[in-house]
Amino acid sequence: MELIGLANYALFMGIFIGIYALLALGLNIQWGFAGLFNAGIAGFFAVGAYTSAILTSPYAEGRLGGFELPFYVGWIGAMIAAALIAWPIGKICLRFRSDYLAIASIGVAEIIRLVIKSEAELTNSARGITNIPRPYGDLPYVQSQMAYLAIVAIVLLVAYLMVERQFNAPWGRMMRAIRDNELAARAMGKNVEYRRLEAFIFGSALMGLGGALFAHFNRSITPEAIDPMVATFLVWIMLILGGSGNNRGAILGAAVVWTIWSVSEIATDQLPQEYAVKAKYIRLFLIGLMLQLVLRFRPEGLLPEPLRGDLRSDDVSSEK
Amino acid sequence: MKSKILAIAGGLLAATALASATAKAADVKIGLIGGVSGPIAAMAPAMIDAAQLAVQQVNEQGGILGGDKLVGVVGDSACNPQGGTDAATKAVNIEGVVGIVGPHCSGAVLAAAGSVTIPAGITVITPSGTSPEITGLKDNDTVFRTVPSDDYQGRALARTLKGMGYDKVAVSYINNDYGTGLANAFKSEFETQGGEIAGYAAHEDGKASYRSDLAELAKGGADTLVIFDYGDGTGLTILRQALENGFFEKFVGGDGMKSEAPIKELGAENLSTFVASSPVGEKSKSLDMFNEAFKASGGDPSAIFVTTSYDAAFLMALAIEKAGGDKAGVSAALREVSNGEGEPIMPGEWKKAKELIAAGTAIDYKGAAGDENFDANGDVPGTYALFKVAGDGFETITEMK
Repeated sequence: MELIGLANYALFMGIFIGIYALLALGLNIQWGFAGLFNAGIAGFFAVGAYTSAILTSPYAEGRLGGFELPFYVGWIGAMIAAALIAWPIGKICLRFRSDYLAIASIGVAEIIRLVIKSEAELTNSARGITNIPRPYGDLPYVQSQMAYLAIVAIVLLVAYLMVERQFNAPWGRMMRAIRDNELAARAMGKNVEYRRLEAFIFGSALMGLGGALFAHFNRSITPEAIDPMVATFLVWIMLILGGSGNNRGAILGAAVVWTIWSVSEIATDQLPQEYAVKAKYIRLFLIGLMLQLVLRFRPEGLLPEPLRGDLRSDDVSSEK
Repeated sequence: MKSKILAIAGGLLAATALASATAKAADVKIGLIGGVSGPIAAMAPAMIDAAQLAVQQVNEQGGILGGDKLVGVVGDSACNPQGGTDAATKAVNIEGVVGIVGPHCSGAVLAAAGSVTIPAGITVITPSGTSPEITGLKDNDTVFRTVPSDDYQGRALARTLKGMGYDKVAVSYINNDYGTGLANAFKSEFETQGGEIAGYAAHEDGKASYRSDLAELAKGGADTLVIFDYGDGTGLTILRQALENGFFEKFVGGDGMKSEAPIKELGAENLSTFVASSPVGEKSKSLDMFNEAFKASGGDPSAIFVTTSYDAAFLMALAIEKAGGDKAGVSAALREVSNGEGEPIMPGEWKKAKELIAAGTAIDYKGAAGDENFDANGDVPGTYALFKVAGDGFETITEMK
């Protein structure tokens, strides 16, 4: 095992963790702040990925595209498109309470996935879009990965700082008030529907951005990538495990879950040949087990939501 | 998080400095990346076994390069881009493979190639990534496949059916890259040949009932249903429900439908009007040699994509030998060992190949799935045959041109 290889692998993990952390942050705005159970992450991920792919990829016969805009235009476009899609969906679906919203959002994500899979003129249907440019993609392998990790890290950092600021601002307190006691918040004169829609759209825009980062990293996007397992439920596990309501928790959750997902395969590969192939399923099992353990013994997640009011949160947790 | 990234970046800089000093490993590794978990989990083990057979033969016949052991490192692509890039990154960076056989699914191939193997300059041979998109990748000549593009099979099937007197058919295809690719090519060629497509619709995977889809397709008045799906999955459901309800009389399947599952589930007597196309080695000595060897090792030679998997792994070994183990030279060497010119090498003839390479003689691998002579895009033309059900298995009716 070469050291350079390990470092390369770490870079790759960093990029994937960064992308998933963006998705988890977006979900945290929706679930952690506003209590909206969005089970359609894959849909917004897909809208972002495909929008950016269409805006930036070279011309290909039989589908929309050929704009060849710079990547940052694609990424901004991805956020706008995801937000625009989220708006009518939120307008309609947010009238549902938690569980019903979950069902509606799963349905919406499936609709988006099937449209993408079927509309050849728009997305090249099941074949997907290839030759998407990656920023600094012409550099040699290692440098290119480093550059992309740096970009992902900067994007994530900016997103984190902005979300964190909102969280601590009056807006964040208001969202938590709506989440925890809707009637009281309404009595205080807050426009609950409007605020929820805000949180839904902001969260979806971040998910769209995550999708765009993913598409540019792989230089391709195919409908296989928007499978609910890897694009919705994995993100939920990350947020629950890391600690919903805590932005650092969302990022930590993404790091922990992806690391288990990826590194456990290296461990099982040490087994003898005939078991190594079968043991690959243990990854799925480990993730499930991890979620069970967290829900049983630490339902608030690895990093719980910080208590508000003052800075006493450290004292409170040490008293336990 | 920020400090973690800094730590990683710092570690990387240190690693770059150390890289030149690392020792050469004794084993020569190739990655065998497949959809072990995920939608093709039923097909993947046999494909990996076939590739491992090639590895085993290399090791039994003197090993690779200076007698080193060839090792096939199995990775799980889960049949999606996330898993594909993850497995490829591990294979390239942690295991230090010289080349990769796989990934199995087209989406995983596109993503792994785009983000890992093309930048890293690692040669990839996929035994089952059939999407026409792979043809057009800007890959610096590092992405190859031993399986023909879906485009090819669809067209060959259309010509053959038309030639056999099928004039009016309905097409039902699974809505993924495999089904869409095949169906599009089939439709365009069938219509060019003067046939009529009386129904043409995609279906989603894994539903309990397809009766309404089938009823809709049957409205066009065709007596033949062409199914592009997998015979151990949704394709079986469709075939069963079409038979039960008498929507169609004759059935045609693509290579995914040539599976034992319909025969076991529905009975051979009910499938007398069912034919399926599948890639075969031209009835060749190569194919016989592979079949014999694979049977002896406990595998089922009629399982799907085993011949292409074997060829991909054996070709990879030949190319590595030819390139002297140099990663960067593998893709050029791959073209040299299978370009139709030179001393023919059959499956399993590793010792002979090794001696010829050492002597500097040109060799040409004749694979189990065909001659495997790559074109400019790294694609191969296919050799397909049409099969019918006979007894508990399939029997060839005609070659498809």
